[in-house]
Amino acid sequence: MTALGEQLSLTSLSAIEAGRLIAARKITPVELVEALVARVESVDDKLRSYITLMADTALEAARKAEIEIAAGRWRGPLHGVPYGVKDNYHVKGVRTTAGSRLMWDYVADETSTLIERLEAAGAILLGKMNTWEYGTGTGEILEDLPFPLARNPWNVEHFTGGSSTGVGVGVAAGTALFGLGSDTGGSIRLPAAATGVVGMKATYGLVSRAGCLPNCWSLDVTGPLTWTVEDSAVILETIAGADPRDPQSAGVPAGSYRQGLGSGVRGLVIGVIRDFGKNAPALAPDVAANLEAAEKALAKAGARLVTLALPAPLSTYRSVSSVINWGESYSIHEKDFQERRHLMGKALRDKMTAGFMLRAADFIAAQRQRRPLVAATDAAMRTCDAVLTPCTFGTAPRFGNQEALIEFTMHAATSIFNLSGHPAISVPTGFDAQGLPTSAQVAGRYFDEATVYRVAKVIEDALFDASRRPAI
Amino acid sequence: MSKDEPKSWTPEQAAAYAAVYGLSPPPDKAELERLCAMGERVAATARSIARMPFKSDEPASVFKVPLQK
Repeated sequence: MTALGEQLSLTSLSAIEAGRLIAARKITPVELVEALVARVESVDDKLRSYITLMADTALEAARKAEIEIAAGRWRGPLHGVPYGVKDNYHVKGVRTTAGSRLMWDYVADETSTLIERLEAAGAILLGKMNTWEYGTGTGEILEDLPFPLARNPWNVEHFTGGSSTGVGVGVAAGTALFGLGSDTGGSIRLPAAATGVVGMKATYGLVSRAGCLPNCWSLDVTGPLTWTVEDSAVILETIAGADPRDPQSAGVPAGSYRQGLGSGVRGLVIGVIRDFGKNAPALAPDVAANLEAAEKALAKAGARLVTLALPAPLSTYRSVSSVINWGESYSIHEKDFQERRHLMGKALRDKMTAGFMLRAADFIAAQRQRRPLVAATDAAMRTCDAVLTPCTFGTAPRFGNQEALIEFTMHAATSIFNLSGHPAISVPTGFDAQGLPTSAQVAGRYFDEATVYRVAKVIEDALFDASRRPAI
Repeated sequence: MSKDEPKSWTPEQAAAYAAVYGLSPPPDKAELERLCAMGERVAATARSIARMPFKSDEPASVFKVPLQK
């Protein structure tokens, strides 16, 4: 095999495959990091998945991992596996830009809890990945940010989804074997849907947000983007669990998500949400067809599918979420807006302006509406073991079509489960006629990520070809 | 516009609001227009949110003890 062929085969491994090969001493962490760095050098001038590549520290960590493994001190399935993080996660001594001129010179004085947990598991941080400014955007692309846009590896003229843009791109293209993003209204699941990877937003409070730049305290969830469902389950087991550093930590331990992956869905009741209310976008034909294929796969595997009604239109979830987001986000970044808003891109400045113009009474009205809406959503969820919905209503639009970019971002089915706090995963379901990924969203009861993963695994086994990677 | 229809923000109102809340430097014409536009959008979204019927309907964010630091 040529050197390029070897590089491509290593960077096309899932995280767990890589971990197994490392544990079996068939590849070394250094080889893996070198292959990924070479891959970044080869494709990232086009894809822009990274803001800061930490090749030197990654190689040092890889050498340390090799010594440990050789000495019999294997830490587990992620030992020696390289990953990237959205550049809103802090690493002590390393620049965090959050995609913004406002943080151009900012060097973190703390490390995020999730990165500490992954380090303890032996995973190797390869770098800080591209993001919309402060995790904020409507999809409108203005190229007014300090770093070039990330590009979709399936077609570089197409959208990546956001705001965890670089992580989605990197996992699909093989510049990282997995990554961490953050999700306030869809920012893990939307880039996962756009780039054909798995994006998990766990139950609110299960995964620590400590050491990640906040966007909206009441809605923010941190979590993984991965090539496979199994990868996601293993990484969630590693990062989830109580954290005294996070005031909203649910205080529960991480569950066991990988063990039951092969259990299938026989006997499970899966609610399918088809009606999103007035003014909901129409499902693109290929997205609809592949969603139907997912339903058939689940039925064939023994699940009972029932139609589930949302207690309110999608637009209500979006309005309530938006008002809460505007208010809290403004409070977080008030000083930046008051003193340095001229450095902000339009998307962040508009969001801050919205918070600036928001009345307290309206913010509280949204919070008051949130309580019964969430209770009703949970009551609906409890009639099933899991729920199936589209994630996005279309596939990644072409850059230049601003209306389509905004529709992809703002009119997705993701905000339902940010507002309610239920776990929700975006799982690939195939491709459209242009070769762009389609996706579905599986949601579950609070802290029942295990069932969400079981359902996602059946869909993945039926519809996902892990060997098909972007030809870049 | 009838007296029942919500009124729009004017640039003068937006400028006064910005001054009261200490926005510095003061917004220029383009920014005032954006403040008005976003103000409209925020107000419209807020109006779309149904008000809870009972005074005892509490927000999701109400303070609860013990409060974690």
